Amino acid sequence: MKIERDGERLCVSEINELTAANSSNFRDEINSAMTGATVVIEIDLSKTLFMDSSGLGALFALYRATIKREGVVLRLLNPVPEIEQLLELTQMQQLFEVVRR
Amino acid sequence: MAAPSLEPARPATLRLAFAPNLASAREVSVAIRKFLAEQGVAEKELFSYELCIAEASNNAVEYAEGPCRNLKPIAEALFTPTQIELRVTDHTAGFTLLERLPPPSPMTDRGRGLFLIQSVMDEVRYLRGTNENILVMRKKRRAERIPAISPKDGPSDFPSLEDSHRLLAECKIKMAKMADELLLRTETLSSVFRCCSELGRIDTNSEIFEGKLLVDLLHLTSADWYILRMLSPDGRKLLVAAASEPDLASEPIGFPAPGEKAIGIEAAVASSQTAARFDNRDSPDPSEPLMAVGPVGAGYVCPLCFGGKLVGTIAVGRRSGDFPLGRLQDEVIRAFAEFLAIQALSHDRRKTEVRDRVVARELEIAQDIQHLLLPRALPQLPGFGLVGGWQSAREVGGDFYDAIAVEGESLLLMIADVMGKGVPAALFATTMRGLLRGLAERSSDPSQLLCGLNRLLYKELSSVAMFITAQIVLVDMRTRQLTAASAGHCPLLFIPPGRRHVSSMPIRGLPLGVKSHTSYPHHVASMGSHAALLLYTDGLTDTRNPAGATYGQQRLKTWMQEEMIPGRSATDLRDRLASELNQFRGDREMDDDQAFLLLTEDRTGGTRRPFAADQITKLRRGSFLFPANS
Repeated sequence: MKIERDGERLCVSEINELTAANSSNFRDEINSAMTGATVVIEIDLSKTLFMDSSGLGALFALYRATIKREGVVLRLLNPVPEIEQLLELTQMQQLFEVVRR
Repeated sequence: MAAPSLEPARPATLRLAFAPNLASAREVSVAIRKFLAEQGVAEKELFSYELCIAEASNNAVEYAEGPCRNLKPIAEALFTPTQIELRVTDHTAGFTLLERLPPPSPMTDRGRGLFLIQSVMDEVRYLRGTNENILVMRKKRRAERIPAISPKDGPSDFPSLEDSHRLLAECKIKMAKMADELLLRTETLSSVFRCCSELGRIDTNSEIFEGKLLVDLLHLTSADWYILRMLSPDGRKLLVAAASEPDLASEPIGFPAPGEKAIGIEAAVASSQTAARFDNRDSPDPSEPLMAVGPVGAGYVCPLCFGGKLVGTIAVGRRSGDFPLGRLQDEVIRAFAEFLAIQALSHDRRKTEVRDRVVARELEIAQDIQHLLLPRALPQLPGFGLVGGWQSAREVGGDFYDAIAVEGESLLLMIADVMGKGVPAALFATTMRGLLRGLAERSSDPSQLLCGLNRLLYKELSSVAMFITAQIVLVDMRTRQLTAASAGHCPLLFIPPGRRHVSSMPIRGLPLGVKSHTSYPHHVASMGSHAALLLYTDGLTDTRNPAGATYGQQRLKTWMQEEMIPGRSATDLRDRLASELNQFRGDREMDDDQAFLLLTEDRTGGTRRPFAADQITKLRRGSFLFPANS
């Protein structure tokens, strides 16, 4: 997993999977990387081939964190079809801005 | 009886016990995904199964409590082509599984795992035990998901989806073809049955063929014309027996003799007994008879043969040239051709059988007539013997004789030969015999009798262009005088007084039925002291031996001279003459009927044989028939 900070934007990429085994770590790292200047958080899911409910839980936790910080936008970039279906099935796509680039 | 199962007896199974931590749980779900991939489960499905195993395994780790935290959960995958079953055995306190969980709110962080499992799988059951529960998750697999060959394992029993689609398409095409074939064969059979049912009601071959059968053939082969040719009875020509349209009924085609070149496709097919296709566009030969179907016509010519015997040809096709001829059409046409050949042959055979039966019946009738024709007994005078002999080249003949006793010691002898043989000749003979008996009541003069017979028979005889040669002799026993008249008949043979040589008495006169008014001059002669008189038909003198030589009048005269000596009875002479003629003929077939009347001095008295009723019924060709008391 790679986290890049570009001014007010935080880019998280190269996430191979997001599961019960790594979701706590994922959450912790992003929380650490967030600063007061962070306005946009972009999670690049293009490399993420598997995600379970714990992974969804990690994304939900991130969502709650952004809610607390008013004005912060959370974007999910380029999810693979399976992950996109998973978000739809759990109606979680309503919580995030899902962007295809 | 149980329905046959498509599943193998044992499913492919992977069973993994794993350390009760999330990292191991993760490894297990990856391993199960890999296992399922090896079974050929499609990539897009694998995500769902991995997710289910992951959720269940995570729960098994996360919800274990107390000492159970050290117990290893077990994850299993059972694969069959029609179902995937996943099982995870946990050592938790367990939970109550609701039938179907509602989607959890996106704003909550709980309940997503089970919801996902229920969303993905068809059937989820939770078997609870004491510190050991099993979550069973099943999913039926649809046919199109039957998949792929794993390259590592070599060929699998389960083809890829693409292959399955291709196979299915091929099967559909095959089944459609089979259905078409079945339909075509059924129609062919129906047509044949329909034709069979009509056979008893129709008389000729062409009626059989012009009926529904050939129309059915057109229908079944998508043809729009047909030409049926049958081999002529002499086997030299192929004649059009039926055609779909009158303009196709062209001239007869010569059937080539062995070594001769066939002209035209039909003749070539008939000659080689091998079917052939043709397309007039390929060889526009104006002399080709099949050009009648047009310059772009095309079709198929099939020989009609059965058991190696050629009967004719059948040609079918389309005038437009677009005549599709596959294996099936070819078979249908051949089946029709064979059926037509069998019908033609059996029809001819039936006709022959009927004709044979008619002929046999005609001959039975003719024999009955013949029995009536010959006198049952000949009149006899004291001191004389009169005998007759008759044999026919066929069962019935036109030669006959009669003898009528007239006033005083006289006999009226008559012999005749109706031109032709068989029943018509016998019918005229019977008529003539009746007429003579009637006329003889009024006159015994041979000339007058012949005139009367000619007058009465002329109309009937001339209308069928027949005639009768006849000879009538009045024998006066007291004066030993012969009075004879002849209607174109063979000379009368007799031995005149004082001589040993046999004389013939040639008398002029036209046969009966030649001229309406004619006279028959008579001739008078005396018999010698030993009377010997022979009336005969030309069948005697025309008898041929195996070398082909005729018996002739001279031989007959010699026989009379040598054999008709005093002391021999009439019956003895009759037998000798019959034997003489049959010996001369040898094993050669009789060419003509034979009849004779023989009168001789006979003082033997008691030698006359009684007439045996069965003598006539046992009549056979080539053996003389003699009347009673002769």
